[in-house]
Amino acid sequence: MSASTRSTVTGPGAAGSPAQRPDSGRPGERRTTATGGEPPVPVDLKADCIADSAGGLTFDLNVPQGTGTSWSAALVLRLRGGAGTEGADDEVRLPLGPNGPGRLRAVLPSTVALAEGRWNAYADLGDGRDACRLLPGVNDLRSLVDRRPLAGIGRLGVRIPYATKLGNLALRSWLRGPHAEAGDILVTPEGMTVTGRLYGASPADGAQAEARARGADTEPAAVTVPLAVDGPDFTFTVPYDGLAAGWRRGSGPWDLWLRPAEGARPVRIARLLDDVADKKQVFSYPALTVRAAAGELRIGPYYTLDNDLAIRVTGPPEHG
Amino acid sequence: MHISFLIHHAYGTGETVRTTFGLAGALAERHDVEVVSVLRYRDAPALELGPGVALRHLVDLRAHGPARDRADPAHTRPARVFPAADSSSGQYSELTDRRIAQYLRRTEADVVVGTRPGLNVHIARQTRRGTLRVGQERIGLDGHGRALKSALRGAYPRLDAVLTAGEADARAWRRGLRLPGVRVEALPSGVPAPRLAPADGSGKWVVAAGRLTRAARFDVLVRAFAGVVAVRPDWRLRIYGGGAEKAALRALIDELRLYNHVFLMGPANPLESEWAKGSIAAVTAGREPSATTAAEAMRCGLPVVAADCPYGPGEIVADGVDGRLVPAGNSAALTGALLALIGDDAARRRMGAAALASSARFDPAAVAGRHAALFAELLAVRRGNSLRDSLHRARGALVGGAYAAKYAAEHTARAAVRGVRTA
Repeated sequence: MSASTRSTVTGPGAAGSPAQRPDSGRPGERRTTATGGEPPVPVDLKADCIADSAGGLTFDLNVPQGTGTSWSAALVLRLRGGAGTEGADDEVRLPLGPNGPGRLRAVLPSTVALAEGRWNAYADLGDGRDACRLLPGVNDLRSLVDRRPLAGIGRLGVRIPYATKLGNLALRSWLRGPHAEAGDILVTPEGMTVTGRLYGASPADGAQAEARARGADTEPAAVTVPLAVDGPDFTFTVPYDGLAAGWRRGSGPWDLWLRPAEGARPVRIARLLDDVADKKQVFSYPALTVRAAAGELRIGPYYTLDNDLAIRVTGPPEHG
Repeated sequence: MHISFLIHHAYGTGETVRTTFGLAGALAERHDVEVVSVLRYRDAPALELGPGVALRHLVDLRAHGPARDRADPAHTRPARVFPAADSSSGQYSELTDRRIAQYLRRTEADVVVGTRPGLNVHIARQTRRGTLRVGQERIGLDGHGRALKSALRGAYPRLDAVLTAGEADARAWRRGLRLPGVRVEALPSGVPAPRLAPADGSGKWVVAAGRLTRAARFDVLVRAFAGVVAVRPDWRLRIYGGGAEKAALRALIDELRLYNHVFLMGPANPLESEWAKGSIAAVTAGREPSATTAAEAMRCGLPVVAADCPYGPGEIVADGVDGRLVPAGNSAALTGALLALIGDDAARRRMGAAALASSARFDPAAVAGRHAALFAELLAVRRGNSLRDSLHRARGALVGGAYAAKYAAEHTARAAVRGVRTA
């Protein structure tokens, strides 16, 4: 495999013919390529991925019979957009050991911290060649679907395997403590009611939710509402008037934060505890029409590309 | 046995390619199997083909391939054998006519299996004698327009067998087309065993999957689920798949205020990973491919609540045993059946286990075995009495009636010659 393996992940413009470019086209087009007198290089390794409810992942690779592996074989995770420099926290190597004939296994325990972001998965068979990009096999993520860790957990690690647009295996990772997990959201004429659960902190007196206008440098920058609390579970309702008053033009997003106690560091409200890597399309909510001084506004909740909860306020269509 | 599948384009990703590759791979365990692709647009097949199966093409249309076929003027002239009424006839030409005829005349296969109506017509009319002529009909007779039906009426009497997906459809073919002496048999599509443990029935999820089309009737399911949520708000519904109806379904979910309970998940592949997360499968569409969807869910251990359509899951699900059948298009009945399974953990688990057991009949090895047995039986009959065989063929060609008149004379003559030779 060519040296373009690492650079082709995020953008076009990689060198090499289509046949040699590991990220070109669909996975089915990849085949074993032989160079000169050397043995064939397996370039279509697939990894089956099993998740446990604690946040750990097990990777099972099918390799061609007779593939020699050395002691240094590893499943390599590389943080997308990472510096790639020695000693940085943007590469994790998990030992790949034999697990029956033609099978290799690597384990990512819940205790290994992965920085928040997207991690690409590679196999380095320890044969001196460049690590090759892994393809997704069959994922068993059922234990993530209704994942409900103990509320007292200090720092919550979430890793969800998924297939990239080009059909490669990657992980999304979140590392948060404390963490405010959003549950059901109700959109009513009175406002938007969010229920959720706080992990790694206990809501105390003065706990509140905050909607902050993204990138706002003018007032009002935040709408604050009190939190109703039942143990680790919380509920709050954001009324529309404050959001509507802050609307200037176009569509302005408001990010939602939770402050567990007066003076405490605010926590981003997000939806992380399931098997869905990208929430935005799946967890979709209606927008409500709200009459404001500026005209008719559409206000509704949505999840950002990072699965954080936000509210979008959209103005009347601009003419001209 | 040497078995040859004739397919439109084996290098694509469609349902026909998937089921043909599955069947060919399973048959290759015991037989010589080849897949012959009429057209070739790509270098490598997009789907995985079993190691024992040979693959070749008849007409090479790869953009960077040899220009011989693309530039052949015969490829610009319309086909005469491939029926114009077949929806893919635009890709067929005098060149494909010639190459397919050549292949069918020279094949050394014992059995040739066509995978779409137009190719079955070729097989019926042009296969060398001695080779078994089999036509697959997966769509269903009432899915064909009048023009196509009349083209098939002329040719199909000369097939040895027509294979449908379901029993009801097989009956429709026997009734709708006069095919004396042609074996019309229902053989389901194979569904491989899932590559992960079956669902354990503990989650509170109903799962559905399929193209989001109007015919799939996911609107019925969403409405039914409003009734479920009213009683059991702890249960939720996931619908996997993409399609033109997505926006309409999204609007329905919002209108019924089900956005915390019903989720449009988008396309998923492989689907078995998603079935395994559910406890009940819901199938609202009739006919294929919904029957295959039901079979897939059952192989993952899910009881199936399905619309009782004659050509679809109604033939797959045994009501009260491995799922529930409800009248098609009836949301209230669907709500009732879902709530009954949701409210009875023991029944749900029992039906899930029954679904797992009964769906073993869809295993590709079992399905391949049924194909092989049928082919062997038909070959034995053929070899046992080739005189009677040729008479039946002549008669079959004649009773095709006016539709077949154009080809009947030619065929009767051929059959008569064969009859003399073998007598």
